[in-house]
Amino acid sequence: MNSENLDILLVEDNKDDMDLTLHALKREKLANHIFVARDGEEALDFLFCRGAFAQRSFEHPPKLVLLDLKLPKVDGMEVLKQVKSDPRTKNIPIVIMTSSKEERDLVSGYKLGANSYIQKPVDFDQFRETVKSIGLYWLVINQPAPAGSVTKAAGQAS
Amino acid sequence: MAIVTDSEVVQQIRLPERNRKTERQITERKRIDMPIEARLRGRITGGFIVAVLLTIFIGFLSWRNARLAADDADWVIHTYAVMDTLELTSKQLIEVETSARTFGLTGQDALRAHYETAKVAVMQHEETLRHLTADNPNQQLRLDMLEPQIRTALEFAESIVAKRLRLQASPDSSDILETERMMNAVRATGQEIKDEEMRLLSQRTQNTSARRRLTSLIIVAGIFVGAGLLALARLAVNREIAVSTQGRDQLKALNAELEQRVEQRTAALQSEITERQQAKQELAIQAEELSHSRQALETQTLMLQSVLDSMAEGLVAADEQGKFLIWNRAAERIVGHGPADLPPQEWSAHYGNYLSDGVTLLPTEQLPLVRAIRGEVSTTEIFLRNPKVTEGTWIEASGSPLKDKNGVVRGGVVAFRDITRSRADEREIRKLNDELEQRVVERTAQLETANKELEAFSYSVSHDLRAPLRHIGGFSKMLVEEFGSSLDPNARHYVERIQAGTQKMGLLVDELLNLARVGRHALSLRPTGLNSIVAEVIAILQPDSEGRQVEWLVGDLPAVDCDPVLVKQVFQNLLANALKFTRPRVGADKSARARTSAMRSLIEISHQEQDGQPVFMVRDNGVGFNMKYVDKLFGVFQRLHSTEEFEGTGIGLVTVQRIVHKHGGRVWAEGEPDKGAAFYFTLGTGNPVELKSTGATAGDQS
Repeated sequence: MNSENLDILLVEDNKDDMDLTLHALKREKLANHIFVARDGEEALDFLFCRGAFAQRSFEHPPKLVLLDLKLPKVDGMEVLKQVKSDPRTKNIPIVIMTSSKEERDLVSGYKLGANSYIQKPVDFDQFRETVKSIGLYWLVINQPAPAGSVTKAAGQAS
Repeated sequence: MAIVTDSEVVQQIRLPERNRKTERQITERKRIDMPIEARLRGRITGGFIVAVLLTIFIGFLSWRNARLAADDADWVIHTYAVMDTLELTSKQLIEVETSARTFGLTGQDALRAHYETAKVAVMQHEETLRHLTADNPNQQLRLDMLEPQIRTALEFAESIVAKRLRLQASPDSSDILETERMMNAVRATGQEIKDEEMRLLSQRTQNTSARRRLTSLIIVAGIFVGAGLLALARLAVNREIAVSTQGRDQLKALNAELEQRVEQRTAALQSEITERQQAKQELAIQAEELSHSRQALETQTLMLQSVLDSMAEGLVAADEQGKFLIWNRAAERIVGHGPADLPPQEWSAHYGNYLSDGVTLLPTEQLPLVRAIRGEVSTTEIFLRNPKVTEGTWIEASGSPLKDKNGVVRGGVVAFRDITRSRADEREIRKLNDELEQRVVERTAQLETANKELEAFSYSVSHDLRAPLRHIGGFSKMLVEEFGSSLDPNARHYVERIQAGTQKMGLLVDELLNLARVGRHALSLRPTGLNSIVAEVIAILQPDSEGRQVEWLVGDLPAVDCDPVLVKQVFQNLLANALKFTRPRVGADKSARARTSAMRSLIEISHQEQDGQPVFMVRDNGVGFNMKYVDKLFGVFQRLHSTEEFEGTGIGLVTVQRIVHKHGGRVWAEGEPDKGAAFYFTLGTGNPVELKSTGATAGDQS
């Protein structure tokens, strides 16, 4: 996997959801550069370039993180909190994709700096439509922060 | 002074009504009058006394001068007597000398006898002279000088006589010369005495005439003074008479006034007497009335006593000294004692009044009656125990002060009742209450736990149930899409059925979650314009009404205080229902379908005031319902139509009801099969309000 040109980090523990999401992304040809983390810890290791991902560089962050909330080990909110409170990673767009539409999750998600909050529709057509919209927006329409700005900001903060 | 008083008198006459002042002035007037009379009398008396004294003085002076004049005349006679005697002495002495000398010459016895006679006369005269001049020492001295001269002359004459007798000799010339010398000496001394007497005489004469002139002068002056005094006295008397006449006139006027006043006073007294008599009569009447009132009072007192004694509550009253005035039968029954003549400090111990601990005597200052006498209103619970009330009684005593009509505290009254039983009841109630409260607390805790569990359940339903549903839906879809061509029609049908089921279950789960969320949702009230909410809902429902003839009749709705999110949910559910049930029925027979399809959907949203509160209505001309099922409308999962006819979960109206109830309002429905249904609701908290800005509605924000 070429982590240098990574587009999407999908954080999803459920195999079914993972498959459905990947299916939807593939259908829209957005799944070429995607990495799936199966729990919160792995997601954090990946994003903070440590452990198994020590060879990764902050210079090449993913263009989008699709984050489930209910995760083994470290839950989604904690992942969000750490990523958004670290200057090196806080510019990475994080879209929460979850089954829950609980208000408290919505509120705390946005408070911690989530860029978007999506409830996975039960209906597969709608789900596909949603995934397509998100992918198109963040990977095609949205202009990410310049690559150097992240480390620069990090340097300034440290 | 008299003039002043005159004017006062005039004043008195002019102002008879100023009686007190007048009286005072009369008193003054009397005080002034008295010395005037006395003075008049004094002046007259004084005048007379002066006149009498003057007269007496003049009389005395005249008398004295007359006396002095008589004395003077005596003295003149005396002087003349002295001079005569002196003359006689001198003449007799000359006779003695002459007869002695002649006898000497002649010896004639006759001459000797003559001599002897003359000699005796000389001595007699001499004696007389001494006697006459006894008052004048100067003359006595001169007499002392004269007498030896006379004696010498006499002795010489004797010697001449003796010489004749014895010697028969005649006196010679020397004898004669001697005699002559002696006689001259006697004569000289006699002349001296005579001169002195003459001088005295002239002096006395002068004195007498001077005194006589003075006397005349005094008499004349006295007469004039007396006359003048009398004239003055006359004038004074006249004046005083004039004054006293004036005074008498004033007195007369005063008397007249006094008399008038006496008359007035008499009249006043008379009327007073009349009044007194009337008063006496009135008093008599009053006394009679009083006796009536007393009887009435006695009756009332008896009644009061009966009332007091028939009271179930104890009632005691005392005056401000703590002397008991009332102590009714109930009081005696409850306390076990009658009123005791004891100071308040001993009441607690005597009657056995204790604090709520049952052992501490109630302090005197906390006794309801003492507090009432102090002017306080109080309610106290007292534990009462004494030898007569051995079990002890709880009483509730209410004290209040007794005030007179001026609001001054004159004592206190205390009403009390036995609350032993009610206290026990109360304790029981309190105990039950405590238990109940405990149970409520427990139940609340249980409910809270249940609620939390439910919440957790909702969450897990939301998360855990929706995920597999999505998977079923997703993979079946993928199956159809990717392998649809290789599936036989039956297999495809089954997969479609799986998908429909999944969809329906997804809907159910979502609505159940929604319902649960409504229950937990904290009400956030704000003024909300309902028209904008309705417009928003209609816009949301637009896709469902596509290809249909739907007419929305939206009235002019008010702005009310409500939770815009929840109220939007209400309208959404109700309008969605209306839209759904005005749709041509899928499973109905052809004629019904034709009828309904030809019919336009009419959905009316309006409100009307009822008891000052807006009642909102959503009415449609759809399938309606039978009113006998109206109770089932708002039950969970309760449906009046088959899913084939109208899809739905049976949760929408329950959610509506829950939201309305949350607002303190109520919801109800009316319907008739095939005619339509009408849903009404109120928002208890949602009183109409004025919207400050029409743009800022909750609907816009959600």
